Amino acid sequence: MKKLIVVLLALMMVTAMFTGCGTKEKGVIRMWVGEESAEFYQKVCDEYVAANPDFGYTVEVKGMDTGSVAGTITNDPTAAADIYTVAHDNIGKLASTQCAKPITDEALIAQVIADNPASYQQVIYSNLNDVKYLYGVPYISQALFLYYNKALVTDEQAQSFEGLREAAKAAGTKAITVTGDDGFNMSFALLAQKVTDHSTTVKIYEGADSASGGSKGESNCQGDDTVAIYRWLQAYAADPNGFKWASSDGWHADLDKNNLGVLAVIGGAWHYKTAAASLGETNLGIALIPTFTLTEEACEGLTGVAAGDVYRGGTFADCKCFMINAHSEPSKYASEQQLIKYLSSKEIQNRSYVECLNVPAYTGSAEFIKQCFDEGKVTESQYNLAITQVGMAEWGIPQPFITGTLNTYYYSKNAPSVLRAIVDKSAYPTTGDIILTETESLEGIRKALYMVEYLWMHGQSPKDFPANLPDKA
Amino acid sequence: MSNIARPKKVKSQSRNRRISLGVTYTILVILSIIWLIPLVWIVLSAFRCEYQADGTFIGKVTSNFFPKQYGFKNFADLFNATYYGVPNAFPKWVLNTFIIAVIDCVISTFLVLSVAYCMSKLKFKLRKAFMNISMIIGLFPGFMSMIAIYFLLKSIGLTGNADHPEYSMIGLVLAYSAGAGLGFQIAKGFFDVIPNALVESAKLDGCTNFKIFRRIILPLAKPIIIYQALMSFTGPWMDFIFAKVIIGASNARYWTVSVGLYQMLFGSQYSDPNFFTQFAAGCVIVAIPIVTLFMFLQKYYVEGVTAGAVKG
Amino acid sequence: MANKDPINKRRVGICVLLSFVTLGIYAFYWLYLLVKNVRSLKNDTRSCIGEMLCLILVPIYPIYWWYTRGNDVKRLLEERDCQASSTGSLFLVLLLLSSFIPLVIFIPMGIMQGDFNSLPTAVSKSHKANFFSPIGKFFRNIGKMFTGGSVGTKLSYFIFGAGNIYHKQYIKGGIFLLLQIAIILFMVLCPSINGTPYGYKALANLSLKNLSKGGEFDPATGGMTTGSDCKLMILFGFVTIAVIVIFVILWYKNIQSSYKADMDKKIGKKPTTFKEDLQSLLDQKFHITMLTPTCIAALVFTVLPTIFMIALAFTTYNDPDMNDAGTTLFHWNGVQNFARVFTGEGSLGFEIKNRFLPVLGWTFIWAIFATLTCYFGGIILALLINKKGLKGKKIFRTIFIMTIAVPQFISLLAVRNILGEFGPVNKMLMDFGWTNHAIGFLGLNPADSEILAKVMVIVVNMWVGIPYTMLMTTGILMNIPADLYEAGRVDGASTTKMFFKITLPYVIFITTPYLISSFVGNINSFNTIYLLTGGGPTHTGYQAGGTDLLVTWLYKVTIDQGAYNTGAVIGIFTFLITATITLITYRRSKAYNEEDTFQ
Repeated sequence: MKKLIVVLLALMMVTAMFTGCGTKEKGVIRMWVGEESAEFYQKVCDEYVAANPDFGYTVEVKGMDTGSVAGTITNDPTAAADIYTVAHDNIGKLASTQCAKPITDEALIAQVIADNPASYQQVIYSNLNDVKYLYGVPYISQALFLYYNKALVTDEQAQSFEGLREAAKAAGTKAITVTGDDGFNMSFALLAQKVTDHSTTVKIYEGADSASGGSKGESNCQGDDTVAIYRWLQAYAADPNGFKWASSDGWHADLDKNNLGVLAVIGGAWHYKTAAASLGETNLGIALIPTFTLTEEACEGLTGVAAGDVYRGGTFADCKCFMINAHSEPSKYASEQQLIKYLSSKEIQNRSYVECLNVPAYTGSAEFIKQCFDEGKVTESQYNLAITQVGMAEWGIPQPFITGTLNTYYYSKNAPSVLRAIVDKSAYPTTGDIILTETESLEGIRKALYMVEYLWMHGQSPKDFPANLPDKA
Repeated sequence: MSNIARPKKVKSQSRNRRISLGVTYTILVILSIIWLIPLVWIVLSAFRCEYQADGTFIGKVTSNFFPKQYGFKNFADLFNATYYGVPNAFPKWVLNTFIIAVIDCVISTFLVLSVAYCMSKLKFKLRKAFMNISMIIGLFPGFMSMIAIYFLLKSIGLTGNADHPEYSMIGLVLAYSAGAGLGFQIAKGFFDVIPNALVESAKLDGCTNFKIFRRIILPLAKPIIIYQALMSFTGPWMDFIFAKVIIGASNARYWTVSVGLYQMLFGSQYSDPNFFTQFAAGCVIVAIPIVTLFMFLQKYYVEGVTAGAVKG
Repeated sequence: MANKDPINKRRVGICVLLSFVTLGIYAFYWLYLLVKNVRSLKNDTRSCIGEMLCLILVPIYPIYWWYTRGNDVKRLLEERDCQASSTGSLFLVLLLLSSFIPLVIFIPMGIMQGDFNSLPTAVSKSHKANFFSPIGKFFRNIGKMFTGGSVGTKLSYFIFGAGNIYHKQYIKGGIFLLLQIAIILFMVLCPSINGTPYGYKALANLSLKNLSKGGEFDPATGGMTTGSDCKLMILFGFVTIAVIVIFVILWYKNIQSSYKADMDKKIGKKPTTFKEDLQSLLDQKFHITMLTPTCIAALVFTVLPTIFMIALAFTTYNDPDMNDAGTTLFHWNGVQNFARVFTGEGSLGFEIKNRFLPVLGWTFIWAIFATLTCYFGGIILALLINKKGLKGKKIFRTIFIMTIAVPQFISLLAVRNILGEFGPVNKMLMDFGWTNHAIGFLGLNPADSEILAKVMVIVVNMWVGIPYTMLMTTGILMNIPADLYEAGRVDGASTTKMFFKITLPYVIFITTPYLISSFVGNINSFNTIYLLTGGGPTHTGYQAGGTDLLVTWLYKVTIDQGAYNTGAVIGIFTFLITATITLITYRRSKAYNEEDTFQ
């Protein structure tokens, strides 16, 4: 009996070997999109195929986890779908490791240029053999914003960190948390801009170039405003009613109206469902990331800032893009671009907002969002969700990681931990060559920020600190 | 030494014993409660059916240990829900896991027994070398080889390729059972205890090694067969990492139940904490058959564990 | 004969292995020893450097040398009542062959060394069988079978199965021949999968040189060449090497099989029929039948992948410091990845250097505490349950087994939530007013205490591990010989005293091997840490968190971040540690040393 089963299994294996190695079935374009909108895009593609009999392919859509899909693709691009969607910061890595194919259809390129804001257009190109090509077609825009507990925080209070603290004091809890301590979720302080003129001295890989032998561009995070902002955040975090750390799977418990760990959280649209479940749909407030006013203590000894300056928390204002797999057959190439052109058109982006709450990426989508609300197609919180993200785009920059290395240096190196150490006023790291003994004094913060900048540029800690800070790394 | 003193001593001894027994009972009961709390909590969560004031269902972890309301909603939702684009995913995952577990169980048990028998009762060249090599190979952390196994399986079409995603299940069975033969130590420990005289006398009677294995060793090896079968059957129900790598993130239809349950709560941006009570319901459904198996086969399990311990 | 035996004997297998490890340098030294041996056989004590130089530098000279010396050795050995296994002419053939395939040179060297080894030694050293001795025998036999075999056997050296066909064992011979043809076709035709070939091309590809970069893009058609896939090149290269090894084994077996038929004929027996061969697979060769499936499966799915991963440790696979070092295009970079652990160079090196020792230290602390707490906790629990007069033993035991039966991702996630910030435990503590803020027991929040998380994982691990030890000890407790206690009772020992003098030593004595294996198991204990704390209080990216063990860090670096080269370095270090512990303790343990006598 056992042997019989073994033999059967061996036979199954052999058949699998023969059939499994066969060529891919023709006539199917496979597509991976975010889990939340797989159903929608399947429907849209089916409609498109039905309406265009000479299209020649059917489309099969699968939902994938946005966070890890880029890793899945780089691990084995041959197993990935023909068209996939990723956040634009992965374009550099995917293009340089030949997981993606450039887009050359002129009509599609024209559409991308006409529809999208200039900031996106800097990050969706990459180099192939030193020729600059368009790689990603934006179709969803994303930004971080604020969720807050409407029952305990007035709309007025939600406008500023100070207001949130006031509400938290009244409720006997903490004001605000984030959805993780990584470089993305903690960008709100780093990217904060002065309210009056949108100014900041922070530069992240500005002017970076993905050509072979290209540069990492220019970075800066040692400006006096950054120092002042982190000093302010130190005080805010030390406040019993101030900032609270949370993890990616703990923040919703904090926000829960039964637990009342915090009153507000800085998160993205993908947290909406969870946040709504924590606070109840009607109780969920959505607003821009609040402003904060620099205090005397924060500005002490600094020249570039003055007490009373008002800053608004910043964000990475990103887009998600359609891309074509490099391993997709050339025969599908034209049809794939045709399909992407349709799916990234304003019309479909608008529909995806109405049906899946994906915020359109094109310039001027606010008008349509408002119109939907006026026509009653979306609820108020759904409207807020979208309009706030569009609003946040003004206070944000696209993630400037045009190559995979920059992405890794910014996120996966120690810079986020050093920034966290500043907020905690703790030393960092505990072992190794170079030790930050403290991050409380002005000098300590300057050293830490120098270290952050060095990590961004070199991916490792500096060997020692220059005598005079700030210094260019 | 006197006659009167003696009964007294017995009496005090029995009282001492009763006290110490009482203390033991108390300790054991307390320990049992501690050990059962997490399991009871999962079961309670599975039957929890609480609603918020505005009528929305509370699906996530709550701080009250005992639910305020009970119901079967979680189970109903679990069976009907669409996860990762797969309608009625949960029953499918359970079936996938069951198929994989059964085939893996048969192959693994066969491999382990055959190797253990060879190592214990047959003399041949390279025997010691085989034992040493298998021990050394076993010391490498498992994930190290995971990606290589993926590409080996992929090169023969046994991962989740787009045309035949179901072949990934064969791949997973291979990945689970292929290395099983190297984990022969416990079964060998068991075979070592079977007296050699039995084998020798059978040989004198002209039995071939095959006959000895079939007629003498196998009937005696029932406990270890059951132990091995139990271990390899439960393996696929517990693994939530290997299966995902081999079957693939885009292939949710063919996930095993542990991957599916794990993904409901973790590992993806859209994992939802509000699935917790459904997750708990899934856990109960997974745990019931395994725990029942363990309960029924407890004797053999203990025998296996003991054999493993003594022989290392 | 000289008083002192000047013949240098050494294991052929070790020599070959060392030659490979030293990239051929050792082979020259070995050759030098062989030359010296020949000289000392001839009682020639002059320096042999000149002869050595001629052998290396003069082109045709080696062929001449091997031919004449082969004959000399045969003659000289016979003078000493020894049977030489080879003649000059065999060496001649092999030498010619080795000018095409250089590796063949090890065969004559091995044969000659085997002959030297067969000389009687003045002081006979006990020959302990080890892994390498079969390899030495392999080389001796190759020579012996060629000189002593029939025409068929000699033909078998070139055509598989020729000897069997010569002895009218057609089926067997046919199988050998088919296998030879199949393997040669495989090697020559180089079948390819996903554009990466097997066969001789795969061997050449192992160098990871001449990679095609791909990426030639034609905007008009959308055609894009895909470059070489280095990981498949390495993988397929190793598969091909495995096929070659199988080829050599088959070659040897085919000769052996023919030679055996020769011998059978010599003593007047008929060569075995195919049916008899099959029957022997169920009897004398039953181990082959039983082990083949496992060997093949383990070779393909365990050994090869492990070797593959070790190889990745020496490459730039997906290196985060190199923008285009992806998972397909990378190259060998020697021991740099290992060196980085000490120099801290490169961005990954920095983190590894920084975190390696702390993580290693914590891994050990964890393993020691996890092992000891579960071990003694289990023994105590077993004693409690097995107390005389206690009723409901079975119920208690069943309760504890339940925690083993429930999959860990269920039970540990339950524990994680119960101990979580808003879980029942924290609520209870706050309701009682023992704390005014939730305690982060498991370091799930980045700001939580690392020490507390470390203590908690050890405590929760007791919950996981104690039932195992309890079950195991229960069996052992029941088997403690009753007369030990009798003797103790006669001596008037108290219960406590008997426990410490009899029970505990007995249990510890029996379970020492378990203690070791559970220590190693705890070093590699993935589930407890991963499911409870996720390694937290977390750091980011490649960095190990506060409770990360080497093995969970390995997971982060490989599965999460895809840096398999660095992961392999961590994995190899982990292996070295566990292997050292296991080998030292295991080889000293009774179980190992008395393994044979026990049978």
